[in-house]
Amino acid sequence: MTRVKRWRMVFVIGVILLFLVAACTPPAPPSSGEAVNEAGAGESTEPQVLRVWITWGDNPAQLQELFDRYTAATGIRVEVNSPVEDDKVIAGLSGNEPPDVLVLGGPDSVGTWAREGLVTPLDDYLATGDVDVEDIFDAPLSQCLYQGNYFCLPWGTDTYALFWNKDLFEEAGLDPDRPPQTLEELAEYAQKLTKVDENGNITQVGFIPDFSWSHLDLYTAMMGGYWYSDDGTKITFTSDPVVNALKWEQQFYCDYNAEEVLRFSSAFGGYASPDNGFYAGKIAMQVEGEWQPGPNFIQKYKPELFYGVAPLPPPADHPERANTNLVSGTVALIPAGVKDKDAAWKLLAWMQSPEILADEMVANFNLPSSGKAAQDPRFHENEKFEVFLNLMSDPNARAPILTPINAEVGTELGQIEEQVLHTCADPLPLLQAAQDKLQPELDKALSE
Amino acid sequence: MPVNPFARRVANRGWSPRTRRHFLTGLAFISLWIVGFFAFTLYPMVASLYYSFTEYHIRQPSEWIGLLNYTELFQDPLFWKSLYNTAYMVVFGVPLSLLISFICALLLNIKTPGQSIYRVIYFLPAIVPVVASTLLWLWILNPNSGLLNTLLAEVGIRGPNWTKDPFWSKPSLILLGLWGVGNTIIIYLAGLQDIPTTLIEAAQLDGANWWQRLWAVTIPLVSPITLFNLIIGVIATFQYFAQAYVLSAGISPVGSGLGAPLNSTLFYSVYLYQQGFVYLKMGYASAQAWILFLVIMVCTIFLLRSSEHWTYYEGG
Repeated sequence: MTRVKRWRMVFVIGVILLFLVAACTPPAPPSSGEAVNEAGAGESTEPQVLRVWITWGDNPAQLQELFDRYTAATGIRVEVNSPVEDDKVIAGLSGNEPPDVLVLGGPDSVGTWAREGLVTPLDDYLATGDVDVEDIFDAPLSQCLYQGNYFCLPWGTDTYALFWNKDLFEEAGLDPDRPPQTLEELAEYAQKLTKVDENGNITQVGFIPDFSWSHLDLYTAMMGGYWYSDDGTKITFTSDPVVNALKWEQQFYCDYNAEEVLRFSSAFGGYASPDNGFYAGKIAMQVEGEWQPGPNFIQKYKPELFYGVAPLPPPADHPERANTNLVSGTVALIPAGVKDKDAAWKLLAWMQSPEILADEMVANFNLPSSGKAAQDPRFHENEKFEVFLNLMSDPNARAPILTPINAEVGTELGQIEEQVLHTCADPLPLLQAAQDKLQPELDKALSE
Repeated sequence: MPVNPFARRVANRGWSPRTRRHFLTGLAFISLWIVGFFAFTLYPMVASLYYSFTEYHIRQPSEWIGLLNYTELFQDPLFWKSLYNTAYMVVFGVPLSLLISFICALLLNIKTPGQSIYRVIYFLPAIVPVVASTLLWLWILNPNSGLLNTLLAEVGIRGPNWTKDPFWSKPSLILLGLWGVGNTIIIYLAGLQDIPTTLIEAAQLDGANWWQRLWAVTIPLVSPITLFNLIIGVIATFQYFAQAYVLSAGISPVGSGLGAPLNSTLFYSVYLYQQGFVYLKMGYASAQAWILFLVIMVCTIFLLRSSEHWTYYEGG
């Protein structure tokens, strides 16, 4: 072989080895945000691009349009990616190129991620006054609190109320303008509104507690408690509110015939379709969110539906719990691996500004988390939406408590709820077993 | 003289310069694949083996805990439940799909007008994306208005609540899987066409009827194909994920939770996904992955060993 050829061969092998080494080298550890900030922010001559990932959204164009207004105002381009799948979010958070702002459908994972150091605590940024914290409603804001620090900010807020079909009320001899006043009355009404044909098949049902969003959290709050102690360090599955909530829910399955109710409800059509059980008049009452009276749901799929909206009623012996409601909803956060956190924060603060918030939430018929935004007249045109606005700002509004094991707790409670409702099992032993299993996990996670 | 130790080793094998040049050129051509293999297969595999002995939550440094993940797994009832669910699919689903594919392949092998159209029709479902076909089947399996229960009602049977009844949820998924056996049919079809017609004709001359020809000639001659389909099917079913994910977590806003109803569709990979990507217990999930790897390996070796007794190779 000639000398030239040999060197060419050495070069080829060298390139191969270089590739291999590059491929097998683990990524550099994430540098601390501060150091990068001082070095990199603002100085670069390249036009800056910020990336926003949103895990929900059936209208990416509308979202991009909204963020284009940030570009118009600042010259900083914003790339919106929506909807982003959950596993991509995990990969993004753990890698070195996370999105600058991440918007989630709910805060459930934020505790887990905060524990793992995947999310930037926002307290220092909140102290700058770029966002008027006083203006954010208490309940939505509290869902971002983890171990005394804020790890996210609420964007669009959701809360839930009782919807009832006035036509079906009339048919059953009930006053269509008077929703049930207590939880007990709700159960009575449900009985009157449930129809069974001669073969034992259910043809219409009054109320299905876990349809269509699971509302164990709301019922538990209505029973006067939650499944964590207030500081989020103890699991209180076996406390009366949780047990009573499950037992109250259970009657709607087990007083009828759980299998028949299940068969009936699983035959409902798509959530966002004219065949939705409530739109189709197959279910007379349901607990649903504020987006339902908006243009994307009932107005779109069943505009002629004759229905009312009222707060879920309290138990008869606890009238002081009227307007108890649980807020959840979209939250925005800055991943820990973001290089230019100041720029990300400026974008997040802009997202929280009342006019932007109002425009976005009007478009999707979600509740704005800001008091100033909520004064926008567009939110007050629809009296049904007003019910939710009032609920969100009520002193009895509360948010779920964030812990590092919310996902595990959610799964476990979901399974217990399924078992209690669909097989008529006794809730207490199941709750006890789950509590015994999860409390050590919570202790361990909190001690890290 | 060669300075590169790799090149020297090649030289020591006594290859001619020409062979050596071809070898290195070939290596250069597949170098991208090699890079991909190291970066996306070998390195993650070795890393996951290491992480399976640690407590690892993605961004924080991992902590060595020895065999704790494994011992915890063996005490985890959901681990056993997910293993049972998966084994159920392997034991009932795989043989059934082989049987159905074989029968379909036999039918599609019959010379009849429109043969190619039938072949296309039977293969088509295999190219429908899994999510789409699962959603379609959710509609077919709807307990009241679904196609299947409507047909059953015609003959006076009240069909079950397919996907919401823990007893029927796995059979529902098997049914869904049978719809997409097009790939297996094609492989069987190729095997059937490989059978020398002389053998069939000889059997016919000896007076063998259709059933005897099938039993004594066709089935033994396609047995290597059966082995191949069996192993591929077992491996794929042990990793069963997408259909179950769509069924239980759903892509609608009202998903009922992974594994619903009552954990009857909590398959091994679904549980692994939950531990890794929902709870961020990557060490635990890595241990699960390695156990799955071992289970699949043992099953495959067992099938290969046992196949010596039931496969027939014409040449050997």
